[in-house]
Amino acid sequence: METTAHRARSPERAVRAVPGQQAAWLLMLPALLLLGVFFVTPYLYLLYVSFMTHTTGAPYRQEFTFDNYLETVRDPFNWRIIWQTLRFGFVTSLVTLVLSYPLAYHMTRASSRIKGLLMIMLLSPLLVGIVVRSYGWMILLADQGLINQAITGLGLGSVQLMYNETGVMIGLIHIYMPFMVLSLLGSLQAIDPDLERAARSLGAGTWQTLRRVTWPLSLPGVASGTVLVFVLTVSAYVIPSLLGGYRVLTLPLLVVQTVEELFNWPAGSAMAIVFFVITIAIVATYLKLMDRAMRGVA
Amino acid sequence: MELTRRGRWGLNLVVALLYLFLLAPIAIVVIAAFNSGEYLRFPPEGFSLRWFQAFFASEPFIDAFIFSLTLALIVTVCATVIGTAASLYIVRHSRRFRSALKLLMISPLPVPAILTGIALLIFLYAIGIGTQSFFNLIIGHTLVTIPYVFLTVSTVLVGFNRSLEEAARSLGAGPWTTFFRITLPILKSGIVSGAVFAFIISFDQFPISLLLAGVGATPLPLQLFDFLRFSFDPTAAAASTISIVMTVIFVLITERLVGLESLYRRGES
Repeated sequence: METTAHRARSPERAVRAVPGQQAAWLLMLPALLLLGVFFVTPYLYLLYVSFMTHTTGAPYRQEFTFDNYLETVRDPFNWRIIWQTLRFGFVTSLVTLVLSYPLAYHMTRASSRIKGLLMIMLLSPLLVGIVVRSYGWMILLADQGLINQAITGLGLGSVQLMYNETGVMIGLIHIYMPFMVLSLLGSLQAIDPDLERAARSLGAGTWQTLRRVTWPLSLPGVASGTVLVFVLTVSAYVIPSLLGGYRVLTLPLLVVQTVEELFNWPAGSAMAIVFFVITIAIVATYLKLMDRAMRGVA
Repeated sequence: MELTRRGRWGLNLVVALLYLFLLAPIAIVVIAAFNSGEYLRFPPEGFSLRWFQAFFASEPFIDAFIFSLTLALIVTVCATVIGTAASLYIVRHSRRFRSALKLLMISPLPVPAILTGIALLIFLYAIGIGTQSFFNLIIGHTLVTIPYVFLTVSTVLVGFNRSLEEAARSLGAGPWTTFFRITLPILKSGIVSGAVFAFIISFDQFPISLLLAGVGATPLPLQLFDFLRFSFDPTAAAASTISIVMTVIFVLITERLVGLESLYRRGES
């Protein structure tokens, strides 16, 4: 089958035998070099360094060891940071899901003219740099910020909204919400409106239709959205550092500190790899569970 | 689906508040940039351009702005050329390694940029070019922008009707003429939206820049970040507003060249 197809194509190929045909792989060469040398190799090197011995005066000593991993796993401080980072991931995924669902649901039912405007409002935050958006939240959440001015104006004292977990949470939810809405939109738009109409005409109420028809059918979007937001959140750097003011540590901050300030490459590499593996394990388990839940529906 | 009237009002109210939540921090930055006071108060104290004057008088900010612009333009060219070429090869010529190559092209997207930055930093120091910040930033930014160009160009390329090219060839056009007169114009929408994505992402990129920047090579987001760690001064708001304006200009250019739908369609899917 393969060979006949190949043979059938050959004469046509001979006619079109332009210099470009044989040399087509040259098109791939720059990308292959760039990604091979500066993407794949650095990751392999990171893996290699994580097994080397830490030493002062040089990046590492060329001596194979498991110590970096053992120390990463043994240190209770690291586990506290890892747990804190994962918790940010879980909470952000859940809250963005709850907030994004009505938004996505509303958009699928909007008329096409309004839809364009809604889409612009949804996507424009994505085009604004993450540092700029964090700064916007700093103006709003600071001790002298607009929200505190309003609270004080009402005679309610003031609330610490920034340089703590609250500030980081608000920032993370804001930054990653558009990704959740986009994931949900894909699934919600694919639902045949007739299904909901059928449920209604058979006597189901609004709430019941939503719970028994719309929600189960949107589960693929829920799965992809929550995974996307979780992965983005646990690797966030700007929001935890600016809105947490270095008083809220997450793993990416700890890894950068270890590599850049403590200059301990082996420990930083090992930490990064441990965390990467934990994240992948969580995502894989979650997707498996979601898959089972979806099969139960279908 | 038919909601009750009260239900529809409730939904609309919730949705309006959510859009407010999404857009408020951006609007606030722009308002703060034009506000005359040191702190944003409500109601605003008055209109002023003093923070823009402060921005243009500040050497670190101006240097960072020019640096970011130069970097983003170079990165856009690199990512667009390399990404488009790879996309042409993978969609049209690759056989055995097609899925592996596709995976390679988009792989910088799912891995955390901060981790890529660390791996790259360690690697660049190990091979002895760790201090070549400008070159390193070009490499790092091109890595994280190339998947966007690849995806936008491939989308157009997959739906490409090759008979147009064959017609041109059979009418006597050479391979280069065919490429420039037929292939490139059809791919235009994919290439332009890929290039705009590349520019915006490079201009706003943070994690890679944080790790690879060096003395005299500080992109604007990093300069802004360093500034905000110690000060709330609205000069940062002016700098932010200018970077928002840059983005808007590039989106408008796209709209002129290929129409905005090509950006949205990709976002929706």
